[in-house]
Amino acid sequence: MRERMKQRRYAMVCSSNQNRSMEAHSLLKRQGFDVSSYGTGAHVKLPGPSLREPNVYDFGTPYKHMLDDLRRKDLELYKRNGILPMLKRNSSVKTAPQRWQDNAADGSFDVVFTFEEKVFDMVIEDLNTREHVLMKSVLIINLEVKDNHEEAAVGARLALELCQEIEATESWEDSIDDILTAFEKQHRRKLLYSVSFY
Amino acid sequence: MAGAPRDQALSLLAAANNHGDLAVKLSSLKQAKDILFSLDPSSAVDLFPYLVELQSSPETLVRKLLLDLVEEIGLKAMEHSSVLMPVLLTLLRDDDSAVAKQSIVSGSIIFCCVLEEMTLQFHRHGKVERWLEELWSWMAKFKDAVFAIALEPGSAATKLLALKFLETYVLLFTSDKSETEAPVAEGSRRAFNISWLVGGHPVLDPYSLMSEANRTLRILLNLLQSASSLPSSLTITVVNCLASIGRKRPLHYGTILSALLDFDPNFEMVKGCHASSILYSVRSALLGFLRCTNPTIMESRDRLVRALRTMNAGDAADQVIRQVDKAIKNAERALRDGRLGKDDQLSSQVPVTGDPLKKRSVPLDNEDSINKHEMASKRLRYGSETNSTLPVQINDNGRDGSSANGLSPDLPLLDGELNPVEKMIAVIGALVAEGERGAESLEILISKIHPDLLADIVITNMKHLPKTPPPLTRFGNVPVPRQISSLNASVTSSLVSDLPTANNLPTDSKRDPRRDPRRLDPRRVAVPAGLASTPTLEDSDAMHSEFNGSISLSKPSSLLVGTTVENKSAPLISREEEMESLSVSGIGQMTPTEEVLEEPEEIAPAKQAKTSDPTDSPAHTNDDSVTTEFPDIPVKDEADRSSFPEFYEHSPVLPNASASEDTCHDLPPLPVYVDLTQDQQQSLRRLAIKRIIDSYKHLYAADCSQLRLALLAGLVAQIDADDEVVVMLQKHVVVDYQEQKATALLGSFPASDKSFSKLLGEVPILPDSALKLLGNLCYADVIDQHGKDIRDVERITQGLGAVWSLILGRPRYRQACLDIALKCAVHLQDEIRAKAIRLVANKLYQLSYISENIEQFATQMLLSAVDNHTSDLEHVQSVSTEQIAEGVVGSQETSVSDSQISDSGNSETDSTRNRPVAQSTSTVSLLEAQRLISLFFALCTKKPDLLRLVFNIYGRAPKTVKQAFHRHIPILIRALGSSCTELLNIVSDPPEGSENLLVLDVSILIPMLPSLSKNEVLPIFPRLVALPLEKFQMALAHILQGSAHTGPALTPAEVLVAIHGIVPEKDGLALKKIMDACSACFEQRTVFTQQVLAKALTRMVDQTPLPLLFMRTVIQSIDAFPSLVDFVMEILSKLVSKQLPPPQLESALNKHANLRSPLASFASQPNLRSSLPRSTLAVLGLANEMHMQQPHRSSSFNSSDAGSSVHGATLT
Repeated sequence: MRERMKQRRYAMVCSSNQNRSMEAHSLLKRQGFDVSSYGTGAHVKLPGPSLREPNVYDFGTPYKHMLDDLRRKDLELYKRNGILPMLKRNSSVKTAPQRWQDNAADGSFDVVFTFEEKVFDMVIEDLNTREHVLMKSVLIINLEVKDNHEEAAVGARLALELCQEIEATESWEDSIDDILTAFEKQHRRKLLYSVSFY
Repeated sequence: MAGAPRDQALSLLAAANNHGDLAVKLSSLKQAKDILFSLDPSSAVDLFPYLVELQSSPETLVRKLLLDLVEEIGLKAMEHSSVLMPVLLTLLRDDDSAVAKQSIVSGSIIFCCVLEEMTLQFHRHGKVERWLEELWSWMAKFKDAVFAIALEPGSAATKLLALKFLETYVLLFTSDKSETEAPVAEGSRRAFNISWLVGGHPVLDPYSLMSEANRTLRILLNLLQSASSLPSSLTITVVNCLASIGRKRPLHYGTILSALLDFDPNFEMVKGCHASSILYSVRSALLGFLRCTNPTIMESRDRLVRALRTMNAGDAADQVIRQVDKAIKNAERALRDGRLGKDDQLSSQVPVTGDPLKKRSVPLDNEDSINKHEMASKRLRYGSETNSTLPVQINDNGRDGSSANGLSPDLPLLDGELNPVEKMIAVIGALVAEGERGAESLEILISKIHPDLLADIVITNMKHLPKTPPPLTRFGNVPVPRQISSLNASVTSSLVSDLPTANNLPTDSKRDPRRDPRRLDPRRVAVPAGLASTPTLEDSDAMHSEFNGSISLSKPSSLLVGTTVENKSAPLISREEEMESLSVSGIGQMTPTEEVLEEPEEIAPAKQAKTSDPTDSPAHTNDDSVTTEFPDIPVKDEADRSSFPEFYEHSPVLPNASASEDTCHDLPPLPVYVDLTQDQQQSLRRLAIKRIIDSYKHLYAADCSQLRLALLAGLVAQIDADDEVVVMLQKHVVVDYQEQKATALLGSFPASDKSFSKLLGEVPILPDSALKLLGNLCYADVIDQHGKDIRDVERITQGLGAVWSLILGRPRYRQACLDIALKCAVHLQDEIRAKAIRLVANKLYQLSYISENIEQFATQMLLSAVDNHTSDLEHVQSVSTEQIAEGVVGSQETSVSDSQISDSGNSETDSTRNRPVAQSTSTVSLLEAQRLISLFFALCTKKPDLLRLVFNIYGRAPKTVKQAFHRHIPILIRALGSSCTELLNIVSDPPEGSENLLVLDVSILIPMLPSLSKNEVLPIFPRLVALPLEKFQMALAHILQGSAHTGPALTPAEVLVAIHGIVPEKDGLALKKIMDACSACFEQRTVFTQQVLAKALTRMVDQTPLPLLFMRTVIQSIDAFPSLVDFVMEILSKLVSKQLPPPQLESALNKHANLRSPLASFASQPNLRSSLPRSTLAVLGLANEMHMQQPHRSSSFNSSDAGSSVHGATLT
């Protein structure tokens, strides 16, 4: 096998860069992938005492800060609903949630995973609005994952599996159809992908 | 001397070529590169051939690095680089796709640079040098090679980039009209465009390049056609490239759109392709088009939306459209505002395509829309990539600002963004500042705010109250209670509140001339409007652009909030009445709760409130001046800066501070103290007392009652308490006592308790106050002593229940109770109204002794909505409850501001109270119309006869009322059921003017269609065709589906015949609609099969006159089913024998030339030929042989028909 130039860069994107993308980020990082994660929302939203009272933070607010904040607000509640453990995990992965739309400085990615169709749309649209000066192709894959802890864990494993398969190929451009079709068949999950450029 | 490094480079290059270790090779090459660049280019050029040798290095990484090197030399030493170009060409064909890819990338970059250099060189020196020409010829070879890669089989990875190059190529050589100016400045960062070559160029021929671009586009389009033979990744890329071209070059948009819409790959044929992703890419492309504001693209919106609907992306499409529309509106406004201030050199530089577009007023909880909107606004800058420099500045300003002013650190604002509450405040402020334009959005926004969030908003705003209460000496030495200063006012608020004296006033006044203080204040008359208003032009825009955050980082929140506060306070003051405001402007600062509670009210379209009195503006000025005096303004200059980043951003040329100072200096100084005569002071105090007492009625908040009492005491003491005031106070005390007693009495029963109703039913006499209490219970809000709204649904139920039982059991109070019920049935608040309507329609309407009254009232309300004299009628009707209504209005006011349960209540409350007559001249709002007509529609379900009236008056109803009708009709129809005879009668014989209602709402019949017979469907068929396409498609489905008993109402063939049977003039339908309907049928190939088409055509060909669209359909049929050719031949033969109008025949034959000769031979049969007119034979090319044609040919076919058919024969 020919030497690969270098490891591919992966991005995991959900809307708040808390649960789904961070679960996957955490897992892929542990597996040695070059991975980053982002959210496409306008804010970082975490469940609050009720559906209509989410805790809203800005991207860039450290997970640690949120952790302290929610601990102060209602230790029991947020422990129970898994938010505190999640924030703790997140803070061990990176400092703060990052916004996809503001990530131009982070360089280009080879593969972007989104976990929701809306997020997929936003990533595509955002890439469309950037100037494609590098002419570097990027694969964007959407894997629909419900925004709860259990599904996020499942989703992260699936994402890892896909990433491993992609990583194993010389060029995803030629094999992506086969990889995704096989994956869909095996896991009974629908996938979407698109191709954009940096 | 240059020998040493040169030799060194040589040996390094040799090592890169021959060394055994890859790492050494790479590092040698890198070192060689450094040396090459340190050398004089002309001496380095000798080494290039050695570089070229490296292209055959067995190491992928070496070849890739070589390409990097070539690219860098190509850019830095272009003059000498042509010797390296063969490397590009060779490596394009590299076995390793990574190398080939790199070659495409490097080559593309060089390609663009060479192109730019060619243009610039000619522009600068009037000629193109030899080396550059040579380089260009290499580029032409490169281009050809890349094109070949795109088309030939090979690695998808490489082809992907080749496709991207194709896209770039089309973009470069397709004129972008928005960039027509030649490349003026050197070092211009703009990418090359063919439009640079307008003046001609010795080497580059714009025309051949443009046609090259067209050819390239065709290549991409062809690739799309052959999608089934490509891997999905390529097809998706083709779609994306086409979409990108379509968005950026409107010239090609039409072609690309058609191609994408027609794109229908046969996925079954392709093994292992990811069909859903391909289809999704088309969806994304269409949505991307929808986001474009280019006029060409905007025109096709309908098509896009229709297509997206069929892809189940209708919602996404609608959302995008809403966002874009809003963005456009804002852009236009910004443009307009920009023009207003164009005297000023600053504003002339405002890039209108930039920031202002990012305005938004959507509710915060809709995060996604924010993002999409943000994209929309990004997209809005189509063709203006140059704007990309702007955001940086904005960021900088923002950061400066945030560091400059002391943000409270406990807010989660680590990156300087706003928290939701502050954003919401900013949004509200901006909407208020927009004046009436913002009113509607504001209504919606406020109705959607969660009470808790609203409370947060109020509380957040409180911190903008000044830390120190205004010096009260002016109003007397009233002691100021301590709690005010505990309000934790932030420094910024006081800062901001003084700035606007210079700036925000003009802003507001621009938005609403009535509130222009300059108009009233003689000192300001001389100030040129342009000067004063410029800095704040984008004031609210600034706020908006803020959270759109497409520019990512934001400005300090305090600034925004500050601005908001100002925006709000202006209307506040102007709303005050007469001299009151003068005194209250001071008090307002002191009594935080009052202001707080009133805020939402001002937020609601305060503009609808009455025009301000002349005294307003001095009052305002006064107010401002008070704030100006605050001693604790820390760093004014910095506050300036942070408050107007927009200003700086738009005027990068001018030094910031001086600019803002100029603006301030242009305004005359404001009076610090207003001299009042003794009388004025007296009346001022009296008004103040009155106002405090009035406000007391609505407020139960304990924390300000103390303050109020203190104020009252002070004022009364100053006034020498004359009788009038004492009486007023007495009255207030008594009324207050009674009210509190009654409320307490009611409050002691639980809402579910029947004893209240029982008590009312049994007491011998019901005094007015009891009825008033009952009325209050039904439609007033109950406020507990903490000022919280505790009205619960059960209370209303309780009250209405009592009303019902009184109507049943106490004939004497029947009318009064009915009044209450009816009053509730047109109540502003949906909740109350719905309950009352249920009571009235379901229970009371059944009572024969009042049903007529009810019907009358409902009819009057309906008519009042239609004829637009709302309030008069209401006043007439509810005289007996007028008093109660006043009470309602009063208490509602507070509750609304407090709880925000009501949707739109505020403005309407205001209007009903303040301008009963004025309203009759204004148009009824949709909500108002809903309010007035709901009862009637509810009655309709009980008595379908009434429906006739709705249809009778529909024609004359204003637009909003019609809209309200449209909302009600479907509900009503559903309630009535499809078999309702009254409804069917109306459908079959619509009253004059109501056709539109039926046309619009014939869609309500759609669910009934399956059960209708052919004879029932045919009369309404034209109306079905007139429906929006997707509705027609739905109707079509229903017609074809039929019911289990009767079978389909029409067969597909009959549907086609029916569509063709529609005559535009007669049925009042645009031809386009009919054509769309035809197309809709053709789209359903499984239903409208070849056989169906044949059958329909056969039937139609016998009609006289021929249906207008007959020939079009014939042609479409062949397009859809080429195998129909034989059949069509037959039809045409039939037509020819029926004497088809020659022009139609000719155009048909021109389009399908293969029909000509068989038809000609058919027509030349002797028996036929003699019967054909000469013109027909001429078309068939048989005329020459017909020397002895009969002269009466012109009368032999129906010339008028021919005329119209030709006219309508859209053989496209």
